[in-house]
Amino acid sequence: MNNTTYAKLCGGIALVWTLGLLFIPPFAKTVEQLMLLFLSTNAR
Amino acid sequence: MLKTSLQIVGIMVLLLAVTLVTLTLKNQNADGPSVLFPGGELVSGQLYQGAEPDWAFTDDIFTIELQTIDPISSRRIFIMESDGKVYVPSGYMRSFLGKLWKDWAFDVEDGSSLVVARIDGVRYERNLLRLNDPAVADGVAAKLAKKYAGGATPEAVAQIKQSITDGDTWIFEMAPRSK
Repeated sequence: MNNTTYAKLCGGIALVWTLGLLFIPPFAKTVEQLMLLFLSTNAR
Repeated sequence: MLKTSLQIVGIMVLLLAVTLVTLTLKNQNADGPSVLFPGGELVSGQLYQGAEPDWAFTDDIFTIELQTIDPISSRRIFIMESDGKVYVPSGYMRSFLGKLWKDWAFDVEDGSSLVVARIDGVRYERNLLRLNDPAVADGVAAKLAKKYAGGATPEAVAQIKQSITDGDTWIFEMAPRSK
C-alpha cells in the first residue's frame, strides 16, 4: 500500500470511528469498557 | 512485510488517539461522567438537605458520581459505608497511570476538597477528608473487600490495608461540609 492510499485509509477509519463514538452510544460504551478492562489489569 | 506491520500499528495508535480525544471532548461538559472519562458539573437530581443520612443504603450501590468543585469535573467511583460514615477510594496513586488518571485525588489532597456526590439521582454536598487513622481504615478496608474484591477474606482485607498503608490506595471520608 503506498503512502497516499494509506493516508486516505487512516482518514476514513478515523472519521468512521469518531462518528461511531459520537453517535452510537453502545459502541462508545463498549470501547470504554475495553479501555477500563485494560487499565484495571495493567495499571501498576 | 515490515511496512505492513508498521502501518497496522499506526492505525491502532491512531484509533487510540482518536478515542481519547473524542471521548474526552464528548464528556467534559456532560451532566456526569461516562464509564471511564470524566464528565462535567452534576446538574440534574434533587439537592439533599436535612439530617445526615443513614449511609447504609450505599451497600447496595456499586458506584456513585463524584464531582469536584475546583476544577469542575466528575467521575464514577466506588463507595463504602463504615461505622456510619461514608468513604470513597482512589487507587493506583503511586503508578504512572494513576498520576494521569487520578488527578482529582491530588487536587483534593492539595485543598480542593469540596465535592458533590450524586447517589441514586440525589446530590449531596460534601467535603473530602483524607483518611489517615489506621483503626478506621480497618473497617473501610473490610467493606471495600466485601463489596469490590469478592469478599472480606483476611487475605483480601490485609492486602487492601497494605495498599492504603503504602499509599497505593487513598481513602477519603465524604464528610458533611460543616465538619
